[in-house]
Amino acid sequence: MSLNPFDLHYTVLAKHAQHVVLIHFPIALLITGAAFDFLSQWTKRRGLADAAYFNILTAAIFTIPTLATGLLAWRFALEGQKLKGLLLEHMVLAWISSLLIWVIWATHFRARKRLGLPPTWRLWIELAAVAIIALTGHLGGFLSGVNGPG
Amino acid sequence: MSSKTMWILGFTTAALMLIATLAVAPRLSANPQQATTAEVKIDNFSFGPATLTVAPGTTVTWVNHDDIPHTVVSTDSVFKSKVLDTDEKFSFTFTKAGTYPYFCSIHPKMTATVVVK
Repeated sequence: MSLNPFDLHYTVLAKHAQHVVLIHFPIALLITGAAFDFLSQWTKRRGLADAAYFNILTAAIFTIPTLATGLLAWRFALEGQKLKGLLLEHMVLAWISSLLIWVIWATHFRARKRLGLPPTWRLWIELAAVAIIALTGHLGGFLSGVNGPG
Repeated sequence: MSSKTMWILGFTTAALMLIATLAVAPRLSANPQQATTAEVKIDNFSFGPATLTVAPGTTVTWVNHDDIPHTVVSTDSVFKSKVLDTDEKFSFTFTKAGTYPYFCSIHPKMTATVVVK
């Protein structure tokens, strides 16, 4: 198959390239959401808290296709064989960071439902989630060959 | 032709054939295509050599020297390795002549070929 960036067939059916594309969304949205949340905690501005909530919500939604395409890449590229080393570490960290994003979103969601403020400890979880998703992306970058020649 | 001449001709022919055999034999054994094993190094996101030519019956071993996992997968589904971590190996014996392109399924841009002839 000749590669053409505007070839719909290749774009839609690319076996694992979509994972590499989609992963940027939850990473960026989580980091932005956490930044807005820290700012909202500091300034007590409701608008920043809203921005944080919707960024984190979108990050959580994007974990679903990102995890799905990661699992499909495992199925297509490696035929689901047992993972080890960097591949296993990448997958475990991806699950942990996705879980943390959903926990953060749930914390915000419950607080908004009560019309109150989310607990302060969620900021520590947000920091941990940002660190873990950054590490996951770092390993993913190595695995994808972005550090290789060409 | 006398019997003596026949003997001399026969002896000379046999001697020439022996000399020719002795002269050619070392060159044949030094030919890499006659080796029964060959190695492909996986390093810095590439297979080396990119094109390996071997004789039928040769066992080719791929060794991953990268810190990144790789696979060795035949484009025509002739052979397929598991994920190779650092210093892990995969071997395959080529019994039939032909051209065998292969790639790394994790990094499809990594491609190479084994030519068996």
